[in-house]
Amino acid sequence: MELDECLERLYKAQLLPEVTVRALCFKLKEMLVKESNVIHIQTPVTVVGDMHGQFHDMLEIFQIGGPVPDTNYLFLGDYVDRGLYSVETIMLLIVLKLRYPSRIHLLRGNHESRQITQSYGFYTECLNKYGGNSRVWQYLTDIFDYLVLCCIIDDEIFCVHGGLSPNVQTIDQIKIIDRFREIPHDGAMADLVWSDPEENNNPTLDHPDSSGQHFQVSPRGAGYTFGRSVVEKFLQMNDMNRIYRAHQLCNEGYQIYFDGLVTTVWSAPNYCYRCGNKASILELYSKDQFYFNVFEEAPENKLLKENSLNSNYMEENTTNPVVNRKLIADYFEDDSASTDGSADPEMYMFSDVYQARSASNRHVDYFL
Amino acid sequence: MSKRNTAPLRSPGINTVQINAAREMHAQTVRARRMPVPTGSITASSMTAPAAAAAAAAAAAAATATAMPPRHICNNPNNPPCVSCGSVIIPSPRATLPLEDNPSISINDWTISSKKKPILNSQELDVWETEKLKGLTLPEMIFGNNYIRIENPRLDWSIEFNALDALKNVQLQDSGIRVAYSNDWINSKRKQTTSGPGTAQRFSNDVNADSLNIIHKYDWTYTTRYRGTENSPESRFQRDNDQTLPLDKLAVHDKILFYDDMILFEDELADNGISILNVKIRVMNERLLLLSRFFLRVDDVLVRVHDTRLYVEFDENRVIRESKEYEGKYQDVLAKHRLSQSHDPKAALRDSNWVAQNTPMVRRECETIQF
Repeated sequence: MELDECLERLYKAQLLPEVTVRALCFKLKEMLVKESNVIHIQTPVTVVGDMHGQFHDMLEIFQIGGPVPDTNYLFLGDYVDRGLYSVETIMLLIVLKLRYPSRIHLLRGNHESRQITQSYGFYTECLNKYGGNSRVWQYLTDIFDYLVLCCIIDDEIFCVHGGLSPNVQTIDQIKIIDRFREIPHDGAMADLVWSDPEENNNPTLDHPDSSGQHFQVSPRGAGYTFGRSVVEKFLQMNDMNRIYRAHQLCNEGYQIYFDGLVTTVWSAPNYCYRCGNKASILELYSKDQFYFNVFEEAPENKLLKENSLNSNYMEENTTNPVVNRKLIADYFEDDSASTDGSADPEMYMFSDVYQARSASNRHVDYFL
Repeated sequence: MSKRNTAPLRSPGINTVQINAAREMHAQTVRARRMPVPTGSITASSMTAPAAAAAAAAAAAAATATAMPPRHICNNPNNPPCVSCGSVIIPSPRATLPLEDNPSISINDWTISSKKKPILNSQELDVWETEKLKGLTLPEMIFGNNYIRIENPRLDWSIEFNALDALKNVQLQDSGIRVAYSNDWINSKRKQTTSGPGTAQRFSNDVNADSLNIIHKYDWTYTTRYRGTENSPESRFQRDNDQTLPLDKLAVHDKILFYDDMILFEDELADNGISILNVKIRVMNERLLLLSRFFLRVDDVLVRVHDTRLYVEFDENRVIRESKEYEGKYQDVLAKHRLSQSHDPKAALRDSNWVAQNTPMVRRECETIQF
């Protein structure tokens, strides 16, 4: 199958056959194995944070940020899990990467891992959409091992999924990591995709010195948070200006730490279809000119979610991807119909008909 | 039907809604939810809010007149039509624009209301972090403006379930719980910091000597024994562990007049599991049941469910509150599911219902109020 044909299908949220997925993953592996752990790119580029299987919101991003290859994109990881369309999301990104290798770059997030995806939905989704077998999940998680870890834009902006690590002082230390593996529990590679910045607003009286400035162990008993002085030192040592990362939900779509030295970019609006948060993509025009393009949930999400609840396909329909495909196709048909002014009133979500129907369909539960 | 006022840029497009269209939609939404004018006997419940209060007496009168009297009052005109018009009252599922829904229903002197809003924004979070919940690193998602409230003004009693009070119940001390790979992690760091002079020096700059000890102490699992917030400083509940919920009455599928289901807070424990507090309520003609469930899963370590059920019998003015706590080792619970030979055993551990049914109960308490 031609790449453009794959793209056409994927943009319509249709699943590709298993053999095609396998071939695409193989090709991508060949491409990624040549890349360094740290890639260097130039502005202009648009930085995108966590997507988490929110496929329609990713289409929305290509709408507001511009389609590939007209706009360059850097994705900071966490493409899968939690959302209902992880397979579609990661497949579209994979094919875009194959088709336009220099226009789109994909970093690895902590969810690009075999272990995590078994607990947070991607594994289950692959089983549901590919007739109960896990081979597609295996192909895709194998690809995850090849994704790069960090990106440097214009030699002075450092981009990573999570944050800094005590094992990493210089960029060269990242370059020597053996990244072609499952994300380990500790060490530099784990920290890069897991750690979080912590702003030390109110230092504890017991530790007034510098506890919030350095690396701190999370109360969970594993993982680091990093403070301002760590960031300043890292930037100075590597002659960099600032850090962009993802990994943490923020209601406004982005969150600035340490007066702009670190910024979180979050790109999954109404996260998990229930948080009501905004999302953003960061448009970098040059190293000093940028704009946070903030957006809200794509209207399709709500419709799709209600339908998936009604048909219960996530729970029961474990062997039939067709239903899911059909549902999505319906909405895209509806969408294209509306462009020529003949929208089906039944699908018009603010119509009286729709309201009445959705009211009667709403989920009530005789829980005990 | 107005035509869709959209400007698709590319196809398949996502449409932007313009202001006028949004207003139009808002009007339509409200209109669509307003109850159709009843053709038969007029009851109080078919009226909108301002009229409803005045018509309460009429409702009482109507109650005696018909066999199955709709005696409740819908207090919010934005709600979908009520039972007397043939459908269920459920609040808007939308957390954001354009309506702020604050649906409510009254039966006798009891009024039940709920509110759903998005997660707290960063200003609100600041206030919570520095004033309201000092010392606690807040969970990732706090639906701090959500609540379910049950009140009876005549009896001067009310109870509310909200995130703030639930989080106040979280202990500001070490829970002792660690993620599965914590030991390995800490040990490998210890080794690194003490292995060679070179590495030791490298680390000492950024990692304090004692930084492998956890400095910030709070219960990162956000375990809460929250059972709702009463309006009186002294609880009016009497402990009576022999009481049980009248399951026979609750098992009957009486028509649900009001239903809501909401999250108060949620944290993904940095992808080590989940900690979530959920509240849901169903109101029937004679009684209501509320379930507040705290669900904790620390992957490969433990599962925990804290259920609080609140039951109100309207005519008897009787309230029962039952709390149950379940806790078990992750592997033990997972083993129960392995018996079923599923391909995807971990899916069950995401389902709090399944977990509650398959985890041993470690504590149960019951309290009542008879007004």
